[in-house]
Order: sequence, then C-alpha cells, then structure tokens
Amino acid sequence: MSDTPSHAPVKSVRSSRIRGPQDFVGGLALVAIALFALWASSDLQGMRGFSFGAGTAPRMFAFLLLFLGAAVSLIGLLTDGPGLSTFHWRGPFFVSVAILAFAVAIRPLGLVITAFACFLIAALGTPETRWKETMIVGACLTLGCSLLFPYALGLPLQMFPRFMIQ
Amino acid sequence: MADLFSNLALGFGVALTPINLLLCLVGALVGTLVGVLPGIGTIATVAMLLPITFGLPPVGALIMLAGIYYGAQYGGSTTSILVNIPGEAGSVVTALDGFQMAKQGRAGPALAIAAIGSFFAGCVATVLIAVLGAPLTKLALAFGPAEYFSLMVLGLIFAVVLAKGSVLKAIAMIVFGLLLSMVGSDIETGASRMAFNIPELADGLGFATVAMGLFGFAEIIRNLDAGSESDRELVQQKVTGLMPTAKDLRDSAPAIMRGTVLGSILGILPGGGAVIASFAAYTLEKKISKHPERFGRGAIQGVAAPESANNAAAQTSFIPLLTLGIPPNAVMALMVGAMTIHGIVPGPQVMQKQPELVWGMIASMWVGNLMLLVINLPLVGIWVRLLRVPYRLMFPCIVIFCAIGIYSVNNAPVDVVLAGAFGLVGYWLIKHDFEPAPLLLGMVLGPLMEENLRRALLISRGDWSVFLTRPLSAVLMAIAAFLLVLAILPSLRKKRDEVFVESEN
Amino acid sequence: MNLYGRSLAGGCLAILAGLGALAVPAQAQTYPTRSITMIVPFAAGGPTDVIARIVTGHMAQTLGQTIVIENVVGAGGTTATTRASRAPNDGYTLITGHMGTHAASVPLYPNLAYHPEKNFEPVGLLAGTPILILGRKDFPPKDLKEFIAYVKANESKVNAAHAGVGSVSNVSCELLNSVLGIKPVGVPFNGTGPAMNALVGGQVDYMCDQIVNAVPQINGGAIKAYAIATPERNPSLPDVPTTIEAGLPAFQAQAWNAIFAPKGTPAPIVATLNAAISKALDDENVKKRLLELGSVIPGPKDRTPEALAELVKNEIAKWTPVLKPAG
Repeated sequence: MSDTPSHAPVKSVRSSRIRGPQDFVGGLALVAIALFALWASSDLQGMRGFSFGAGTAPRMFAFLLLFLGAAVSLIGLLTDGPGLSTFHWRGPFFVSVAILAFAVAIRPLGLVITAFACFLIAALGTPETRWKETMIVGACLTLGCSLLFPYALGLPLQMFPRFMIQ
Repeated sequence: MADLFSNLALGFGVALTPINLLLCLVGALVGTLVGVLPGIGTIATVAMLLPITFGLPPVGALIMLAGIYYGAQYGGSTTSILVNIPGEAGSVVTALDGFQMAKQGRAGPALAIAAIGSFFAGCVATVLIAVLGAPLTKLALAFGPAEYFSLMVLGLIFAVVLAKGSVLKAIAMIVFGLLLSMVGSDIETGASRMAFNIPELADGLGFATVAMGLFGFAEIIRNLDAGSESDRELVQQKVTGLMPTAKDLRDSAPAIMRGTVLGSILGILPGGGAVIASFAAYTLEKKISKHPERFGRGAIQGVAAPESANNAAAQTSFIPLLTLGIPPNAVMALMVGAMTIHGIVPGPQVMQKQPELVWGMIASMWVGNLMLLVINLPLVGIWVRLLRVPYRLMFPCIVIFCAIGIYSVNNAPVDVVLAGAFGLVGYWLIKHDFEPAPLLLGMVLGPLMEENLRRALLISRGDWSVFLTRPLSAVLMAIAAFLLVLAILPSLRKKRDEVFVESEN
Repeated sequence: MNLYGRSLAGGCLAILAGLGALAVPAQAQTYPTRSITMIVPFAAGGPTDVIARIVTGHMAQTLGQTIVIENVVGAGGTTATTRASRAPNDGYTLITGHMGTHAASVPLYPNLAYHPEKNFEPVGLLAGTPILILGRKDFPPKDLKEFIAYVKANESKVNAAHAGVGSVSNVSCELLNSVLGIKPVGVPFNGTGPAMNALVGGQVDYMCDQIVNAVPQINGGAIKAYAIATPERNPSLPDVPTTIEAGLPAFQAQAWNAIFAPKGTPAPIVATLNAAISKALDDENVKKRLLELGSVIPGPKDRTPEALAELVKNEIAKWTPVLKPAG
C-alpha cells in the first residue's frame, strides 16, 4: 500500500542514526498521546466480572495506540523515510487567533462585530492580503451572515453587543 | 403488483399537487444552500430548518423536510469536493478523491458525477422502498448487538483499506480516532471519561467539531504555507470541462450501480448502517479496480461509488421509520419529532392508517431527487467559478462560516475552540503524513463498536463466542477477516519491492 | 429584538446607571416587551420539546410576544439547565425542565452545578407523561402478576433495556427494580429509539418507557404492555391496567415537564407566565394535541407555582434513595 509516498524520500542530513525522522517523531507523538490517555483514564473502573467497566475500552485502545506509535517510530528509526517538513507559524497562528477570538467574543459582542473582526484577524494569516479589498469583502460577508443566520435560518444568534440590548 | 401501482399512483397524486411540489422544491433548494455552507452538516441543517416546517400541513411538512434532508446531503458533498470539508461521516470518503479531482481542475466532473450518481441511487432506492419496504424491515430487526459489533469491525477494516499510504499508520490513526471517541460519558455507568470536568465534553467530541478542525481548518493552515500559492493558481488555471466526458461516464456507471446496491442494503440497518455504506462502496471499488493506486489521487469511481451509496442509504434509512416507526439515526429522529408535532404518531400502523402520507413521502423522494439533479447540474458552473476567488479572500470566509456553523450546533463557544485545536492537530498530522480520514471514521465508529460490544457481552453474560455462533455476525466477521488479509498481504509483498527501488537510487 | 436594541441603545446607560430598584416593578407591569427565550434541554422533536412547543405556541399568543425555542442538548439535559440557572432573572430566559433535569439529576450527578430548588423559581407544570412496563412480544409472562413472579424467579437471566444513564426509562426502571427488590442486567442503549428497536426485535426482555414512544408498538402487537404506572388508566391505552389494579401499587412514575425561571425572577412575572400556561392548558386545541401524545394535563390545583415547588421537593425525595446506590 505504501507504493507511492506523497513526499519523495529525502535522505536525512542531520542524523545518520534516525533514517526516517518524519515517522520517528510522528510515532513518538502517538506514544505521548497514548500515555496521556492512560493517565487520563486511570481513575476509571476496569472490568467488573463479565462486563466492561468505564475504563476498559479507553485503556485497551490507549495500549494499542502505544504499541502502534512505537512501531511507527521504530520503522522511522530503521528504514529510510522522508525528513521532517518545515512548519510555518504565520498561517496557523493567525487562523488560531481568529478562531479563539470568535469563541471568546460571540456571546458578549454579538455576531456583527465578531464576524468582521475575526475575518480581519484571519486575513493576517497570509502576506498576500490587500487591505482595501479585504475590508470590502469582510463587510459584505458580515452583512451576509447577519441576514442569513439569524433571519433566514432563524438561529438564536445575538447580533449586537449585550450591553446595547439590555 | 396491482397494489403497488395503486399505492404509487396515490403517492404521486399527493406529491404532484402544486403546493407539495413547491414545498419539495423549496426544501431541496434551502437544504442545498444551507448544506453547502462549510461547517454545517446534514444533521445540523435539518435540525436548524425543522422549526420552519411546523406551520405547514403534515404531509407538506414531511415532504419539505425530506427535501431539506436530501438537499443538505447534496450540499455536503459539494463542500467535500470543493474545499475538502465533509459535512457528515458519509462525505468523508467523497472528500478523498473529490477534492483531489478539484485540485486537478476537475471539480466540475466530480460535482456532476456526484449529482448523477445520487440521482440514480435515489431512483433505485425509491422503488426498493415501495416494493420491498415491509419485508426488508425484518433485516433491521434481525440485527442485535452482536451483529452490530461485527458490522463495526468490518467498517474499521474498510477504513484501513481506503488509506492510500502506510497501512500501519492508517491503523494507528483509526486507534487514535477510537480513543478520541471514548471521551464523554460512559454509556453503562454514566461515568465521565477523559472529559476533565469540561461540561462541553460531557457528551464527547462532536463529529462536526473534529471534522471541521481536521479537514477544514487544517487544510486552510496548510494552504497558507509559503510555496502553496503557486499550486493554488495552478488549480485555477487548470479548470477544464464542467461536465463529465463520455469516458468518465463509462468509468463511473458500474461504480454507481455497485454503490447503489451496497448503500440500499446497509441503509436499512438502524444506527450505523448508513455511515458504513459510503466507505464500504469506496473499498469495494478500490479492491476490484485494475488501478487501485489511482484511488485517493482523483479517481472518478472514488466519488461516484460513495456518493451513490450515501444517497441510497439516506433513502432506505426511511424504511425502519415508515414500517416500524423507529428512527434509525439522528436525522430520522428529527423526522419523528416533526411527525409528533403534527399529531402523527409514527408506528407499524402508519402505513395502513395514513397511506397518503407514507406513499406521498415515498413519491416525493423521487420527485425531490429529480429536482436536486435539475438544481445541481447548473449550479456546478457557479461552484467551480467560486474556486477562482483568490484564496487570500476565500480562506477568511471559510474560517468565519465554519466558526458560525460549529457554534450554532450547540451554541457552545468551547466547541469552536476545540475545532481550532483540532485544526492544529490536523496540520501536524498532514506534516507527518498521517491521514485524517481513518481517524475520523474511527471516531464515528468507536462508540457504536464499544457500546454494541458491551451490550452483546451483557446479554450473553460475558460469552465472547456469540460473535461467531450467531450466523449473521459470523458472516460479517468472516468478511472482515478476509478483507484484512487482502489489505495486509500486498503491503508485505510491496515492502520488498520498495527496498529494491530505493537501493537503485 | 434588534429594533428594540437600537431604539434603546441610547437609553440603556440610564437604566444601568441607577434605576435598578425601580426597573423591576416597571418591567413587571409591561412584561413582556420583547421576545422570550425558552431553553429546551433536549433535541428538537423529543417528547419534552414537543410538549414545550405545543404549550409555548399558545402562551406566545397570550403574552403578545414570540417565544424562541433554543434546544441545548448534553449530559441528560443538565448542560442546558446549568446555563439556564445562570441566565439573567428578568423573565426573558426560561427553561422547560423535566423529571430528569429538576429531580433525578440531584442523586445522579454528584457534581451538579445547580440545585433544582435553590437555583430556580418554579413557574408551572405543563403535562405529565405516564410510564409503562413493557415486555417483548414473546416474553412468557402474560400479566403483571406473572411478570413479577417471572422476573423474581429469573433475576439472573432477564435483561432490562434502557435509553441511557439518567434517561426517564433508566430512572423509572431503577424504581421498578427497587420496588421488586431485584437487580437484573440493565442493557444501555443510546436513546429511546434504539432501545425500542431492541425490544421489538426481541434482543432484550423488558423495559420501562414513556407512553408516547410505546403506544403505536403496543397497538401494532410488536410489544406487550403489562401496566401503566399512574393512578388512572390512559385513554390512548384503555386496555392496559394501572399498577394499582394489577397489584404493584408501589410503582408510580410519571415523566413530568414544567417551566422554570432563574432564581429571583420577580413574582409578578412568574404570575403572568403561570396564567399564560394555565390558559394554554385550557385551550381545546392544546388539550387535544397533548392528549394525543398520551399526556396527562394537570388539574387547576396542580398548576400553581407552589404546587410545582412541592412536586420538585417530593420528586427529589423519591428518586434520591432509588438512584443513589446505582450512581
């Protein structure tokens, strides 16, 4: 099944020992997730006689993930594979901030302000943004959403900041 | 037979009155338009639009609601293909090849084949409901917890087969998905599992939340990486024909047929049958194809088969509702709600007592599918044109739509934050060449699998042999084992081939 | 709502500034001046949602303002109820609670963020939904007496289905089991639909459920009904005996639905709302639709806020000993 990997195999430059850093690190992260899940489910009850307890299935899957993560890591250690790809901070950062801002602002500030502000924050995520056109599109989107969601679809969304309504 | 024709005649008599035709059209149209908004899936669309049908006469309300349901499904496939955001579990599979086709400039044919496949499946399923609805109900009742567990195991094997990269990594992703699905309250004891006292996690992670994060937000973040801009411009220049070519149609026709058959059968099973339909169809196509390597890289069969299966299942899932009065899934539960609000109590007698309602609905399904084909084929051109909107303007719009969509499912800001977090997780997964689709399927199937396993063991008092002694369950297990062997054997063989290839470099 | 928001945008500062004390009576005289949000802690289309929509539809006419239903699901309805308990107590946010959210939740959820008596003003009872004892179609016992003898004799063999921890079918079945003094294997399902499917399919032996879900299956012969846990027989199932007639008088259970307001909502507003509920329950059309669902409409003396407060108190006292050891 692994006939055509989506990245061309790149020889690792940094370490001669770890031959497939991408899989090695990926597998380790899965191991970490599995350990975290084991810790998080440690307070749950195990098997009770013939019936499963609340913690049986989570622990079962966590052990399975631990094992699989270790296997992926081991393969990364022993066989040639792609190197680590580069991560960029700008896109992830501004998109995350926009999402977070939406979650924080939607209740107190209402849809209009939140949608427009988050649109602009998200737009910071790429250097290609041209501000004039972004402003215009953002305003149109805000207007569209304000008509569509509360009116056309009848969702109980608040439009304006809370202090203006009460 | 004579009965059938008089029933269908009665049904079309009801469905073809001007007012019901109009309601069907409005439902299909509104469903499509809401379903196409990224971030709002089928269940959310139906739940959102349910109240607008309350003021209508009962038959009209149900016809409109059914229209909204199919419309939302069509709309959901559109976002899967155009922006890689599946609105429900069924369209996760459509996104695999559909989005690849869109990247190659073939969004038009992908959308068109999805509409055509769905229409064909809808026609077949409508006839099936009319002819075999009552006898097929027995199948739904023969499925107990043991059978469902075996079906879910089979479903997870499908999820492995549809992976395009390493099988080991795909299995790891499924298990990760299963683990995520454990978050929430335990079905048997009500104990809170891995929810860290966050009230929004008390009922587990929502499908929409995780899907929008792993597919929607992660895709956006990845596209913002420097260097991808040239790729995107390439897509915009590459757009070729809007309609499928004769070769496309020839390639898809058998896939549509097989997808329809699989979807019709699986759709009848309440609770989970319809979920499995689309990826069972995809797996089947990939396994019998002469070029399995094309799947996941824009194979038109990879869109045609799951879309047909999905739509066939969506329709046959009405069978348990119409014949037993028991809703097989969340959307059907909403339908039951709509019926009760109109004073119709669905149950085994509804077919005899209110034939005009049942047959009117069955006839309107066919009418609705025809309308959707008519609405959607011209829309293909508009959707494809949307792809030409510069990405720097499109991505903030998708972010806002997704955020509003996720928020409105439960009116919970925490859901939006979680989706954002899954966006980052998804970005990381892409960077490490892990596929999000098996993860999502693991997450959908996880609760069904665990719950049915536990129910089966409770009823058998801990005897694991029930999965092999009950005939239906044993058959499903045997198919699962067979598929697993098929999936693992070639990858073991190919490992050796690859060693040779690499040593030549 | 938005027109109102804009027209008041200028004046709101003045109100905030210092009219707090005067605002309450002033509000009560004109209440309601804008749309009211009704939180329903369950999905659209469920029994509670249907009852809430039928009654609030009529209340909106009486009050002259729209009532917007907001369905908030999660954790057996307690997520929504927690939110309602923290809403402003101005009469513009209400909740349709039920037996689970405003009584059984107290013993079931030890970390409950609200208390039904301390954080809510009872407004009025809407309707009660009787509970039935149901068995699969080929379950050996023929009537309730045989049923009791059978499940006691086969305690280790029988399977009781329920619709998930904290659901009406779960807590009422716990009550039945404690009355009978048995502990059968309880098989949990995810909602009433799947549980009913398993009962119709013969995968499980018996369950307790609300009348709404069961009537069509009983009339269609897909399942058996042993008894109804109310003092009187129900018009939609005239042949099903009450538990009192059939020899199990200790098993009495109804899933009731009632409207609550956040604690501290002014009494005049509660009175206005209560009068609107009562008027709705007297309306022929509302009555007819509730009866079609198998609901029991409260009599005049059960409709007051005081009667509801009493009901909540009694229900908490009733469920706590039954559910405590299980949870």
